[in-house]
Parts: sequence; structure tokens; C-alpha cells
Amino acid sequence: MSATAHHLLEIRRYYINFLLKLFAFGQKKVERKRVGKDQDDSETSFSEFDQPSLSFEQPRALGIDEDNKGFHMDHVLEYVTAGMASIMEDNVTKYFEPEELPMWNLLSRTNDRAYEFVSARLTVCWMVGFVVRYALLFPIRLIILTLGIPLFWLCMIIVGVFPNGQFKRWLNRKLVIFCFDFIAGSLSLVATFHNTENAPKRGIAVANHTSPIDSVVLATHNYYDMVGQKHSGLMGIFMRALSHASTHIWFERSDEKDRSSVVERLKERVNSPDLPPILIFPEGVCVNNTSVMQFKKGTFEIASVIHPIAIRFDARFGDAFWWQDKFHHYILHMMTSWAIVCNVWYLPPMTRYPEESAIAFANRVKAKIARQGGMIDLSWDGFLKAQPPKKEWLRQQQQEFARHLQVDNTEEEDQWSTKDKDE
Amino acid sequence: MGSKSSMMLRDEEIKEIQAETGFSSGQIFCLYKRFMNLNDYNCQGSGILLTREKFNVIPELVVNPLGERIIDAFFKESKSDCVNFREFVRVLAHFRPIQPGCNNKLNSKEEKLRLIFNIYDLNNDGYISPEELQTILHMMTGESLSDKQKKNIVKRTFQEADKDNDQRISFEEFSCAITRDADKELSVNFLKQKSSSPSDDS
Repeated sequence: MSATAHHLLEIRRYYINFLLKLFAFGQKKVERKRVGKDQDDSETSFSEFDQPSLSFEQPRALGIDEDNKGFHMDHVLEYVTAGMASIMEDNVTKYFEPEELPMWNLLSRTNDRAYEFVSARLTVCWMVGFVVRYALLFPIRLIILTLGIPLFWLCMIIVGVFPNGQFKRWLNRKLVIFCFDFIAGSLSLVATFHNTENAPKRGIAVANHTSPIDSVVLATHNYYDMVGQKHSGLMGIFMRALSHASTHIWFERSDEKDRSSVVERLKERVNSPDLPPILIFPEGVCVNNTSVMQFKKGTFEIASVIHPIAIRFDARFGDAFWWQDKFHHYILHMMTSWAIVCNVWYLPPMTRYPEESAIAFANRVKAKIARQGGMIDLSWDGFLKAQPPKKEWLRQQQQEFARHLQVDNTEEEDQWSTKDKDE
Repeated sequence: MGSKSSMMLRDEEIKEIQAETGFSSGQIFCLYKRFMNLNDYNCQGSGILLTREKFNVIPELVVNPLGERIIDAFFKESKSDCVNFREFVRVLAHFRPIQPGCNNKLNSKEEKLRLIFNIYDLNNDGYISPEELQTILHMMTGESLSDKQKKNIVKRTFQEADKDNDQRISFEEFSCAITRDADKELSVNFLKQKSSSPSDDS
């Protein structure tokens, strides 16, 4: 079976290389057209001036001139500019939009400017590609998926029959990896695993999070128990089946008690060396894979040894990032892409230093993952996307500004109050 | 995302916006994508107009002490409770850096200052009253200053700026009071976003 898998992987690689050549051809055509059209795009270079922006972690007053104390009407200038700049582009929501590609990949979904009509040859290429993707690849993938999911479910039920013990774990491991690999075929997943000697056999593994299929990608190569938000519907049925077979942790994020029980359960696992490794995504939300957001410190408080894993998707072949409103649109989008290509790096385990705080440890692991995957290391909290920032932060900004004004206010107060007395 | 926003901006419209605002077509595309993103963010598409809540998904704007007034600038332009793309771009055009040799109305120094003046002028009567100045000061400092301190600051600032002593600050007086380089400060260096390419594996 592994021989056929290997063979299939070779085919997938030829396919990928062919696609790359096609994209390069398309890009040349597009560039030629653009040179004529967009000459106004070359703006004269501006002198690099610092743009004011508000920082969440360290609120600081904008536009304060130390020589010119007290409030002046032009203090509002910088705040307004910072606000307008954030309307044009802010540093949080930008990472929740799909990655912009440097080169068009022959999917009409990734271009804004009707690239497919640039030249006749390109149009033909695009149309052929369209037909191939929707009429050939998509049905095949759909068949694989409709076969794969019941198969998986069945496997889990079978494993669930056995009593807990070493045999069950072994069977679980073998079957799960096989099933995930099968299902991964429905997405034409081409994943390259690096440094497999570091693949965790127990303990806690953390990875950056881009899409719901991250777990699928990692599970085609190594077995993990999962931690995650409880879902309803089909996903929920699937999760329950998984739980028959092994010790996954599903929880309800909005329930305070449930969340703390997760911590307890994780602590238990750290102390049981027989159990398979557990996979955790500390960002908590899906980010668009160009950056890594703040890691939640919970995991890093419990364990002192962490196995980091970096996942980087190559968006040229298909963007795995989920931005569509409905799940089935997302699946449709992925199953009509060329392929889902990614690289996975297993990093050597990292240990917390004796005096290191959980947050510092989390940041250290995050930095390592970001560097390995070639992603930007951010300190924003991913949950800023779902909930508005706390009122407290606004208050802090106000406080900082007032603090800088305060300098000569006390004497101002005296000056004015004596004047009042005179009048 | 591409097919949603691409076909809704026609070439003639882009040229019109270019002539009016001075943005390049690349910048206009970026702003259009941004406009559509803010529109659709976290909710089903509801027409192509921005309402006040849509602005409030930008975290950096929500923690900006003058956030509300900045958003008001857009609604002042649209004169309604919705902002369409033309109005959106027109307001942002005020923050284009001034380019020598380029004659553009919206981002002139006077236009930039007028936008700031309008931030202060809450009731849009063309003058800044002491109460309006106090309100803005309150927005910027919150509870961190006492009412007395705020009153004193307003008194002093008014004295300095109000040259003809009519207890209100006109646009001319305001322009004189702004000592900083408004045209440099009220400019946003808005360039097309470059994506980070996937790292080449060794």
C-alpha cells in the first residue's frame, strides 16, 4: 500500500510542476498587458516618513512635542491620520483576508482584473483549466470524499469495540492514518514532511492554524489526538465517532467550566506517557497563513516540553484558508482548486526554561514556528477579529495622552484660579 | 473574493475616480477591495454601502480616542447614514501626500485642514465654539483630566486662537493656530500591499 501511495505522490509532483510552468506562462502574458495599461501606477517615491499608529500593547500618546507642552489644537492631527490610515488598511483584519498571490494561478477567483481575457491563448488555457477542474477533478474528488467519510466513521466504530490498551492504540493509529490519507486524496493534497525524526510520539504538539484541514494534513503522516471546539451536525457526528476510538478532547468554548476542565484533562495526559501525542492550535482562530498570531498561554502553562510544528501552504495551487461564509462553499472552493500543497516542518522539542513564564515560552515557540514557515510573527490576539477590543484599551490611550498634557497643567490650574479670584 | 469585487467597478468609473481624487488605478482597486471587505465582514453581504457598525470592526479605530469623529467625517460627506464607495474614496483622498507638480483639489493643504476643522466643528456651523473644543478634549482624555483642568485648557487655547475675540474660532483663525506641517502630517503613505511569498524550501 505504501508503494502505491509513493507512486501516487510522484504523479502528484509531476502535476504540480506542470502547473507551475503553466502559471509562469500566464504571468508573462499578464505582465505584458499591464505594462501598457498601468503606467500611472508608478508613483513618485515619497520620503519615508513615520506613519502614526496606535499600538495595543503599549498605548502611547501621538504627536507629543516635548518642547511645546500643554494642549494645542494641532494635537488631533496625528490621531486623525492614524485613524484614516487604519481605515485604509489595519494591522489586524489584513491577516484574515486570503493571501495575495504574486503571480496569477489561472483561477478566476484570485484575480481582480479579468486576467483571463488578456490574450486568446491565456483564455483558452483558463477555459481548459476550468473544464478540467470542474468536470474532471471535482467529480473524482467528490467520489473519494463520499467513500472516505463513511469508511473513516466505520473504522472508528470498529476500533471503539476493542478494550482500551496497546492493541487498540496500535489499530487506531494505523487505521486513522490510512483514512486521513484516503480523504486527503479528495483534495489532491500534496504535503511534504521535513525533519521526520522530530515527529512527536507522545506529549503535546503545537502548530499554527490556517484552516480546518490542518489536522487532516498533519494526520496523514503521524497520529494525534485532537483538541477542539465542539461542533454540531455532520462534523459533530464525526467527532463523536473519533472519541470512541481514542482520547480526544472536545469542549465548548463559551462555557467557562468546560474550558477549565480542558486544562485538567491536558494535565492528566502530560502525566500519562502511553497516550498518543495531542495536537493543539494555540492561536485559537484560523489566520491566513502569512503570519502567526498570539499564542494562547494555556497550553504552555501545563507542559514544560512542547513539540512545535510549522505548516505553510503554497497558495498558488489552492488557498486552504477559510474565508467563505458557508462551510460547503469552502469545501467546493478547495475541491475545485488545482491542489492543496503544503510543507510541514517538525521542529525539535522545546523545553521551558526554569524561570520562564508561560507567555514568554509561548512567544518563543511561536517565533520558532513563524521563522521556520517563513511567516510574520505577530503579537495581535486573533480574537480581536471576533470581538471588539475592550473599552479598557480606549481608556488607556486617553490616559496616555492626558498624561503627556499633565506636565504643566498643575501650574496652569493655579495660574487660572488666581486670575479667577482677581476678576 | 476576486470575482465578487472585480466586475463591479467599471473602467469609466475608475477613470472618474482617478480624475477626482488623484489615486492611481492600483490604489483604487485596493481601496475597493478594502471597502468590500469592511462591508462583508462577519455578516452576510448587505448591499454595497457602509454603515457605522461596519467601520467599528477595525480594532485600531475603536481604540482611537477620536474614532467616532473620524467616522463622522465619512457620513458628513455622504449626508446620510450610509457611505458608498465614491464618498469613501473622496474622504480618504484628503490624506494623499501632496505631490509637487500634481494639481489636485482634494488633498491640498487647505482641504486637509478643513477636514480637521470639521472634526472640531460638531454642529457644522462653520465655527468652533468653546463647548465643541471641550467635547473634543474630553474625547481625547476621558476621565484622566478633571473638568476644571479641561476648562482651563479650553480657556487658554481659545485665548490663543481666537484673534478677534468673538468667542468662536473661524477657519482662518484655526489655520493660523495650526503650527505644524499639516500637509506632511495629514498624509498616509498608501502603497499597494505586497504579499509575503512562501519560503523556498532547502
